[in-house]
Amino acid sequence: MPLVFTKTADIVLGRIVVGCVLSAGLIVSGLYYYGHPLYTRVGYAPIQPVRFSHEQHAGRLGMSCLYCHTGVEQSSTAKIPPTQTCMNCHQAIKATSVQLETVRASWTSGAAIPWERVHRTPDYVYFNHAVHVRRGIGCVSCHGKVNEMPVVVHDKPLSMGWCLDCHRHPEEYLRPPDEATNFHWQPPEARTQIEEGRILQAKSRIKATESCTGCHR
Amino acid sequence: MNERIKEYGGAAPIEPSLIEGGHDFASLTDLVSGLVELPTPRWWWIIFSICAVLLVIGGLMSVYVISTGIGVWGMNSPVGWAFDITNFVFWVGIGHAGTLISAILFLFRQKWRSSLNRFAEAMTLFAVACAGLFVTIHLGRAWLFWYLIPAPNSISIYPNYRSALSWDFAAVATYATVSTMFWFYGLIPDLATLRDRAEGGIRRRIYGLLALGWRGSGRHWHNYESTYLMLAGLATALVVSVHTIVSFDFATSVIPGWHSTIFPPYFVTGAIFSGLSMVITLIVPLRVLCGLKDLVGPRHLEVLCKLILATGMLLSYGYMIELFNAWYGGSPMERFVFYNRMTGPYAWCYWTMMVCNVFIPHLFWFRWFRTTPWAMFLVAICVNVGMWFERFVIVVTSLHRDYLPSSWGMFYPTWVDILLLIGGFGLFSTLFMLFIRLLPMVALSEVKAILPAANPHHSPAPNPRHETEEAEASRETSAPASAGVFDGPPHCALARFDGPGELLEAVKRLVAAGYRLLDTYSPFPIHGMEKALMLKRSKVPMFTLAGGIFGFTFAHSLQWYQSAVAYRLDAGGKPINSPEAFVPITFETMVLYAAFGAVAGMLLLNGLPRLYHPVFRGRSFTRATGDGFFLAVEARDPKFDQSATTALLAEAGGKEIELLHA
Repeated sequence: MPLVFTKTADIVLGRIVVGCVLSAGLIVSGLYYYGHPLYTRVGYAPIQPVRFSHEQHAGRLGMSCLYCHTGVEQSSTAKIPPTQTCMNCHQAIKATSVQLETVRASWTSGAAIPWERVHRTPDYVYFNHAVHVRRGIGCVSCHGKVNEMPVVVHDKPLSMGWCLDCHRHPEEYLRPPDEATNFHWQPPEARTQIEEGRILQAKSRIKATESCTGCHR
Repeated sequence: MNERIKEYGGAAPIEPSLIEGGHDFASLTDLVSGLVELPTPRWWWIIFSICAVLLVIGGLMSVYVISTGIGVWGMNSPVGWAFDITNFVFWVGIGHAGTLISAILFLFRQKWRSSLNRFAEAMTLFAVACAGLFVTIHLGRAWLFWYLIPAPNSISIYPNYRSALSWDFAAVATYATVSTMFWFYGLIPDLATLRDRAEGGIRRRIYGLLALGWRGSGRHWHNYESTYLMLAGLATALVVSVHTIVSFDFATSVIPGWHSTIFPPYFVTGAIFSGLSMVITLIVPLRVLCGLKDLVGPRHLEVLCKLILATGMLLSYGYMIELFNAWYGGSPMERFVFYNRMTGPYAWCYWTMMVCNVFIPHLFWFRWFRTTPWAMFLVAICVNVGMWFERFVIVVTSLHRDYLPSSWGMFYPTWVDILLLIGGFGLFSTLFMLFIRLLPMVALSEVKAILPAANPHHSPAPNPRHETEEAEASRETSAPASAGVFDGPPHCALARFDGPGELLEAVKRLVAAGYRLLDTYSPFPIHGMEKALMLKRSKVPMFTLAGGIFGFTFAHSLQWYQSAVAYRLDAGGKPINSPEAFVPITFETMVLYAAFGAVAGMLLLNGLPRLYHPVFRGRSFTRATGDGFFLAVEARDPKFDQSATTALLAEAGGKEIELLHA
């Protein structure tokens, strides 16, 4: 009978085993990297119907977030401003700009500008925007430095683990509620963020829930 | 006694032989390997086609349920579990008999198990596969099953280790893994047999690869047997623990009819009872179709029947104690559940269960039923039906009468429920049919080892089958030993011996002459060989212990870290760090890693897989996994001298002596 396997078979087998182990490792780490919301969501920057620059408006012009996004302190959902908000200024400023053609068309026809939504929580998550803003979670904590974004980018993963990071340690992110929209807020000189956060947490009696039903109602 | 011997053909004076038909090593090898090697018989195609149709139905239904949602099943509040969990518990239970036969009966040295253990283990695997199918679909969103895996993830939550459902996952996953390992482990020597008998190149290579280069070395058998014992011990722990933990799914709830401490033992005996009846259901037709009547004789069947009778009575005791406790416990809810089972809308299920499981097995008190295959087949079918209804009764009747009469309801299966139930049998039987066609369904090396001729102190009658072959071989020996290609230094001198006794004597003789680097090659482990080869106690138990300690520490610290540190979830006010609740998973993981340790120990100590070895160059070495007994003296041995060693081997009775090169 001829041999079933020659001497090289063992070498080949060894290589196949090593190859399989390496491939399995690659697949697992690939799934972890490419399947994580850090990869799937962060960096999402859809092309908007109007080339609106937050960098220009919130950054250089220093407009408050609340001028356009009214109601974020009262409503459970944040809002996209109506076309009228744009036209408050743009009736007078750059009233004939080609870039604002879509805005003017919307204003005259009454049809909303079809903005692409960037941040979205799933249907099975209950998220109250007002509760977070009024207890002193800054816009920047969840939306990133919008004042530096010419095009709005999904900056944080908004994964459940990311929510829980803050719910477990709110003191790392809390600021005085009236500073919520301030992109340049720093804790007072004498205290660190943690110390300041603990004071604010005690003052507002914040007990960030970790219960399932806190968000999945 | 005399009467029995007469009945079984008077094969042996002390104990009737387990293997009938006067088989020797070669004829057994031909018989079992033939099932895989001979052209596919027509009956196989017929049965396989039917099974495959059922499997396709099951596959389509699975796709339908997974894509549409489990709303297509008939269950709804208050009956939240129905066919899905009934089928799951039914199939997990079926598996237990396979492990009982392969593990517990091994520890009790029940030699008759050798004819049955291989296909019973395969039955275990396929039954667990069916159970896995049902329990995965039952999740509803089956793709989220990974929530049960304690891996770091983006949602930062970990399984709740204080829930019986996560215990169940650990238990069934461990059971599936260890059973697969145990089954494959036993297959290794038989795969080598198929490799050495195969004629086609691809076939040889596939079996060769799966056999991991097994060559039946005496030094390997030494570690192999040790690992087998370890695995048997570990699998024994699983037989008892797995269905115990499955019963916790019910027993840790507060539903009357479920909330009972009798559940663990009652589930385990029920599981073994149902599994043994499935063994009978399978083996009674197969021993005829496959021509295995010599291997699975009346004695095997009778013992199985007695086991069914015994476990059936244990189960009946469980039923009675349940009823007694419901009455004696005085809880009106509990009393109502059992009264409702007997007289309520599902009473016909309850009485089917009682008749099939409690009354019908008593037919096995009659000798005629224990010795007539078709009669025991019918009884076994009844038990299968009864055990399925038992699970249905436990699951559905406990749920359909909620505490408040306003919440009462009924469960009626939909066509999807029924077709999926049938599909489960399709999956099981298709896998089983493929198994009997592709792999040896009887553990050859184990069956050979219980033949009288396998005892080295047994003097065999001259075997006419190989007379001519041997004469031919001895003529060849007179020519200078020169087989093999001279592409390396000499590796060893190889000689073939007639039987295990001759081989053992030759080893003793060479050891006495001062040789130390000896190895034997045989189709089964030879009693006393490790002593003759002066092998030390196998180190496999140390590997097993290390694996067990690692598994214990790993599982406990993992659960402690994830529950008490990383994700402190308050579940029903139970303590965040509750070592008691961590016991089941810790235990299962310990068993799992101990089994990994045992198998890894055998592979490492034996240097397997090693596909090429110089002894494979031996002219008739393919017989080492069939009916040949070989002795190799390594050239590295200081005493080695080509002519003197060859002469000594010839003097000791060696045939076909040849010098092999590396």
